Amino acid sequence: MKRNARILRRANLFATAVAIAGLVGTIPALAADEVTQDRLLNADKEAGNWLLHHKNYSAHRFSSLHEINRDTVKNLKVAWTMHLGGVEGGGIWTHGGLEGTPIVENGFMYVTDGWGSVYKIDAHGGKGTLLWKMDPKTDHDWAGAVACCGVDNRGVALWGDLVVSHTLDGRLIATNKETGQVAWQRQVADPDKGEVITGAPLIVKDMAITGVAGAEYGIRGWIAATDLKTQKEVWRTYTIPGKGEPGHETWKDDKNAAATGGGSTWVTGSYDPATDTIIWGVGNPGPDWDNAYRPGDNLYTDSSLALDATTGKIKWHYQHTPNDPYDYDSVAENVLVDVPGKNGPQKLALEADRNGFAYAIDRTTGKFVWGLPFVKKVTWTKGIDPESGKPVEYDPKKPVQTYAVTPNRTDKTTDICPGNMGGKNWPPTAYNPDLKLWYIPVIESCNRITPEAMTPDKIKPREFFTGGGPSQPFKITGSVTAIDVTTGKIAGKAEMPYPNLGGILATPDLVFSGQPSGEVLALDGKTLQKLWEFNTGGGVNAPPMTFTVDGKQYVAILVGLGGAWDKWFIDSTPELKKMQPGSMLYVFSL
Amino acid sequence: MKISRIYLAALIAVSCMVATLISISGAAFSQSATPADPTDAGKHVFQRANCMGCHKWHGNGGGGYGGDALSLRQTQLTREQIVETVSCGRPGTGMPFFVRGSYDATKCYDMLRKDAGDQMPPEANVFLRPSEIEAVADYVIAHIKGKGEPTYDECTAFFGNGSRVCNVYKTEAKPAEAEQAKKAAQ
Ligand code: HEC
Repeated sequence: MKRNARILRRANLFATAVAIAGLVGTIPALAADEVTQDRLLNADKEAGNWLLHHKNYSAHRFSSLHEINRDTVKNLKVAWTMHLGGVEGGGIWTHGGLEGTPIVENGFMYVTDGWGSVYKIDAHGGKGTLLWKMDPKTDHDWAGAVACCGVDNRGVALWGDLVVSHTLDGRLIATNKETGQVAWQRQVADPDKGEVITGAPLIVKDMAITGVAGAEYGIRGWIAATDLKTQKEVWRTYTIPGKGEPGHETWKDDKNAAATGGGSTWVTGSYDPATDTIIWGVGNPGPDWDNAYRPGDNLYTDSSLALDATTGKIKWHYQHTPNDPYDYDSVAENVLVDVPGKNGPQKLALEADRNGFAYAIDRTTGKFVWGLPFVKKVTWTKGIDPESGKPVEYDPKKPVQTYAVTPNRTDKTTDICPGNMGGKNWPPTAYNPDLKLWYIPVIESCNRITPEAMTPDKIKPREFFTGGGPSQPFKITGSVTAIDVTTGKIAGKAEMPYPNLGGILATPDLVFSGQPSGEVLALDGKTLQKLWEFNTGGGVNAPPMTFTVDGKQYVAILVGLGGAWDKWFIDSTPELKKMQPGSMLYVFSL
Repeated sequence: MKISRIYLAALIAVSCMVATLISISGAAFSQSATPADPTDAGKHVFQRANCMGCHKWHGNGGGGYGGDALSLRQTQLTREQIVETVSCGRPGTGMPFFVRGSYDATKCYDMLRKDAGDQMPPEANVFLRPSEIEAVADYVIAHIKGKGEPTYDECTAFFGNGSRVCNVYKTEAKPAEAEQAKKAAQ
């Protein structure tokens, strides 16, 4: 039955394609625009394009384009805008938001809205023309009820003549780039288990790599690779080791906490072609705030994981917050940089963690190199050990860790800094390889944790399994903080009234970012002085990017506050309560 | 002045929409053999006013990433107390007030806004008319209060047949495949 249906669908698609080809008369030159592994490996050579989610496989989010620069940026103006959809609510959410990074290839832009609709926009001629919209008809009730942190989708990937995207209800979808017709789709995550997908796929060697969300609902996290040619799964690596696998011994309880141990992977990772290694961040353990439920270090939660791209086998891991009682996940992207070191060139993986520390790991061995706090206030630990990078209070012999300040079953509430949103959340950092500066979008925060002792009978499918919850008695602000990667020291901090919920774009002498109060900003790349600002009137919750069409440079950003902030954390920024939901694309040029 | 007129127009538009919705579902029911559930109007309010956003469709509320909405299944409140809680919210908690003018034109728990101070509950995203609040209270009493764990039948009654939200409440054992991942971790 199933096979018949698929054949039928294929036949239909083929018919549609033929019909369209007939209408248009000639088939456009597809071959030139096919996205190959070779082009992705050399994404930075296509200076006017933005082919990968994080711009290149190293997750630099750095563009060499420089028509818009320190001298000209004051003349930056809105070139065009476009209203998008997907703002409607579903499940426990009153509205969707925009967190995506636009992808641009040869003057055509691909963006998604929170419910996973894909829009193809022709950006030629100084204006934006919508060519097609692919609405995946995401099941709002099914997915929206188990999305812990908003109705979000962070964008698409390109492969061959397909646009590859995810939906909140767990699908991987391949859409024909020219026609906007769905070519095929595959269920990768299961909302019945509390799994949803918000991240953009990463394309590596004809595979789409998918991460999952759901650590607040008792999932067991994974990273999965789908062969784009056969549409079959190539590997699926669980982030919580199973019985007999190394790391399983770090779950020391007698109630099988590993089975619901969390470890989600909802931020797109990076790829090092030199060693064929995918480096991907792993989220918090579950239940989030009751670490006595799950004695042990709880690998590989709160870790950076290095996987063999071909097999999915784990090569190394580095864990930041063992037996985490804070929800300090490590889903953040790892930024791959090569810098000169004392003993020759260093191959580093940089990660700005929810726990407030920035880490440089040797990405060939997984060993700690340096680390430092990038937030103004850290209270949960007195610091990290300069040799191991572990919190100084960490005692590997203790089943349940107590750090300087630890939410626990005895105290009713515990105030922690950074607050549980971080530090730094999913919004991406950017790295300027010329200046060797790494820019972090910071949430300068504290908040209050009220833990709740969990028992196995509290595990219910599709229900929160968090072991307590946070509240927001403290005002939260933000900053863009720059780290000099050659020294591992803070090079500057531009403070801002609101947390940075959007992420960063770096160009040769500028840094672009935004504020949830509506502003898009350009800062001087060296001094972090503000050089330009435009108020979009909507909350910025997505990263800026840049591209060229017909030789002219543009900066694009999606605007529409959604995500976790305006449901769970708004009390820390009461002024933002007036921000209206929206769904809009802004494009700027000189 | 201007603003309030626009607001009023919007309100009328919304209530017209609700009226249409209710009449449509009423019509659908009148054609089937089972008579319309008199608390259907209250169910629509429960959905439209986003009670389910905090209390979930089943009313059990619970946990969450910050909000701990109480279980309406375990509530001890009477119909009158539910009406008051919805109208006035609950000071010092995340339970919003749903009546225009609460704490301003009309006192709540004998308090005006200035008396409530920083205990002032949030204002709901939508305001409800008294008849709508009574309807939602009737719905809570009839379908949520005093009920045990949510069931498949309750779920399909809320979302309609075929909703995937209800999969997990099916009593038949789930296919082995679905449980594989969990087993592997044991
Ligand atoms: C923004 C979240 C939110 C929304 C929306 C919301 N509630 Fe609540 N509600 C709460 C919270 C939080 C509490 C718990 C207050 C407390 O701790 O005493 C609560 C408590 C209640 C109570 C009191 C229960 C008891 O036993 O004391 C009732 C009744 C109630 N809500 C009904 C409703 C109804 C009906 C709606 C929709 C019209 C609704 N709520 C919408 C958050 C919400």
